[in-house]
Amino acid sequence: MTDQPIPPSKLPSFSKATEPMIKVEGLRKSFNGREVLKGISFEVWPGEMLAIIGPSGCGKSTTLKLITGLLEPDEGEITLNSQRIGLVFQGSALLNSLTVRENLALALKEQKLPKREQDRAIMEDLTLVGLADYVDAFPTQLSGGQQKRTSFARAIVNDPEIVLYDEPTTGLDPVMSTIIEDYMIELENQLHAAGIVVTHQFSTWTRTAHRAILLHEGVVVWEGKPHEALHSNNPYIVQFAKATREGPMLAGKV
Amino acid sequence: MMAMNIPMERNTGLQFGNPLLSLENWCAIGFRLFGQATIMLFQAVGYIFHGGINWAEVMRQANMIGIGSLYVVGVTGLFTGFAMSLQISKELAAFGADTAVGGVVALALIREIGPITAGVMVAGRVGSAMAAELSSMVVSEQIDALKIMRVDPVQFLVVPRFLAALLTIPALSIYSMFLGLAGAIFIAQAKANIPPDIFLDSVKQTVVGTDFITHLIKSVINACIIIFFSCSIGLSARGGAEDVGHATTRAVVWTMTIIFIANYIVTALSPLHTS
Amino acid sequence: MQASEVKHLAASPFLLVEDWVTLGVRLAGQVGIVIARTFYCLLRLQVDWQESIRQAYFIGVKSFLIVGVTSLFTGLAMSLQIAVQLVQFGGESAIGGVVSLALIRQIGPITAAIIVAGRVGSSIAAELTTMNISEQIDALKVMRIDPVRFLVVPRFVGAMAMMPVLSIYAMGIGIFAGMVIALIYADVSFGVFLDSAKAMVIDQDFFVHFLKAFINAAIVIFYSCTIGLNTKGGAADVGYAVTRSVVWSMTVMFIVNYIVTDLTYEGPR
Repeated sequence: MTDQPIPPSKLPSFSKATEPMIKVEGLRKSFNGREVLKGISFEVWPGEMLAIIGPSGCGKSTTLKLITGLLEPDEGEITLNSQRIGLVFQGSALLNSLTVRENLALALKEQKLPKREQDRAIMEDLTLVGLADYVDAFPTQLSGGQQKRTSFARAIVNDPEIVLYDEPTTGLDPVMSTIIEDYMIELENQLHAAGIVVTHQFSTWTRTAHRAILLHEGVVVWEGKPHEALHSNNPYIVQFAKATREGPMLAGKV
Repeated sequence: MMAMNIPMERNTGLQFGNPLLSLENWCAIGFRLFGQATIMLFQAVGYIFHGGINWAEVMRQANMIGIGSLYVVGVTGLFTGFAMSLQISKELAAFGADTAVGGVVALALIREIGPITAGVMVAGRVGSAMAAELSSMVVSEQIDALKIMRVDPVQFLVVPRFLAALLTIPALSIYSMFLGLAGAIFIAQAKANIPPDIFLDSVKQTVVGTDFITHLIKSVINACIIIFFSCSIGLSARGGAEDVGHATTRAVVWTMTIIFIANYIVTALSPLHTS
Repeated sequence: MQASEVKHLAASPFLLVEDWVTLGVRLAGQVGIVIARTFYCLLRLQVDWQESIRQAYFIGVKSFLIVGVTSLFTGLAMSLQIAVQLVQFGGESAIGGVVSLALIRQIGPITAAIIVAGRVGSSIAAELTTMNISEQIDALKVMRIDPVRFLVVPRFVGAMAMMPVLSIYAMGIGIFAGMVIALIYADVSFGVFLDSAKAMVIDQDFFVHFLKAFINAAIVIFYSCTIGLNTKGGAADVGYAVTRSVVWSMTVMFIVNYIVTDLTYEGPR
């Protein structure tokens, strides 16, 4: 069930870093004349997990794609302090024609490790997500939850300094959601990477993120710590966190 | 009443299978598909004679099949005419057989090349689109919805497409034939200096009424093949996005193959006179 | 490109031409980019040979039966037509040559083009589109792996390797069909058939045949890969991509077939 948000004392200190790992300034993006992002800015520091939350269609996934370079922004700047990125896709996006091992090996291709190193890293990360026995299976032979965990392993196998999660728990049953969230917290503790999680699920952003920004119609309308959300003065975040219809977010615009 | 589901071909995967076994497998699937398509044909004909026909839908489909294919069939016919004419007119002109060029080219185009290329082109365009459309409907449960409403998918979906195809595909075939001939005439003049009137004289001398009839028969048969095979394959899909692609590919492959086979059968059965 | 873009019903046929041509040019541009990137990888020998062999095997296995059946029936039909004509004029002894020429020069390449577009092109388009809409292509990009190098190059190399084999196989079956018809219908022995064939078919015919085979295979591979990699959407769009790939590759192949014929054929020797 939804746990309490991470209490401030457990937040890792990133005072050693002098620069943010991810820096986004004035990002704008339109599709077919429709402006999806109207100028957003934020920073993510190493060891920190930022949640980007908001209703459907507010530009969350677009932001992730812009950061990874899958899309080009119309305006604005994105600065990344590292090229080692791992992305967990909403639909797992494992290559169906390759085994689990080969899928993970792909992520390591750039590093050109000797085979033994490669295998070691692969087995290590698969053990982390509890799928070491499935190393030579094909994705189609795995269940949805197993595929998701495999895509986790793939995202971290190259020891990334930036990890991005695109709706990791959307569509999962509550128990599986908790399991995935636990993985995310565990990974954060181990990797100390800079992380962004895009989600609209309360349990996910309150449990796994240190900080969150709420997007509404392409603009950042709130920024703060998850445990402050419910008691905030900001009507947007209160409405979103409470999941009510009363408030400035026009749910009726579906 | 939906007939039985057709099992998909075994995914070849990495099987070093016995080629004869897969031939047998392939034949078995082919026969089952043929049976399925034939059953659908009879069902469709039954509905045509008994039920009301949604002419608006027929016209809409005819538009999609006919007008939509005008350009690809035209271009294909034209360039096939160019190529055949180039080859044949240069060859025969060197032997001084200018007066025979028109006839040879026309016979080739009208009897064999025309029906095959038009048929295959339409199969690629229309057959695959129909299989894609119907299989997506299966995957998104629209077919189930129809069945719950006691609507037979064959009557609702296949019959209009069948009628539309009967109206448009023979016309497309003839149109392709004319374009091919026009292209052939042009090339014969341009590349081998054979004037159009000599070309056409030769055509008139060699081509007989039965050739046109054979051409028409082939195009009607092609139309039936395309519609019933594609629709059978489309409606027997199940699964996700992957199966839409699978069904579409199967439709293309099977309709093309059967068109080639049927073409030969009609050729073998038709009276092959010259004047 | 979205499915909705092309589904106009004809308001005016002339408007449709313009759309069609624009689409064709845009697609050709996209294909050009893929071709360029493929050759860039080839020139730098960045080829996954193991994957290429796998693809070659798939292409061969998938096409084996259909090429056989189609060549057989095309060969039967063409040679029947030709045999009938020649028998009328008492020219049976030339059956071998005429059939062989027809098959090797035009019918063979055209038929092969159709089959490859239908069998190989459609399955590649389906496969790549499905990968695209399930974000697998995006996953490759995020891992800094070039989709062209990972997916297109092995298919291209595999197809190039397979084409000569399939061509020879198709030719063999077609000519064999011709021999059978000639024997049954015109009482022409295999020997006479082959003598005539040897007399009339020159080396250049084989050369052009293989050239066309390579070009056709390339067209199919590049068009179907490009369309697959550039189609976004849902399940329905997979089917749509297959249709596009089959239609466009066949159209381009027919046009190119004529151009190659024009450039290489100077007349009988």
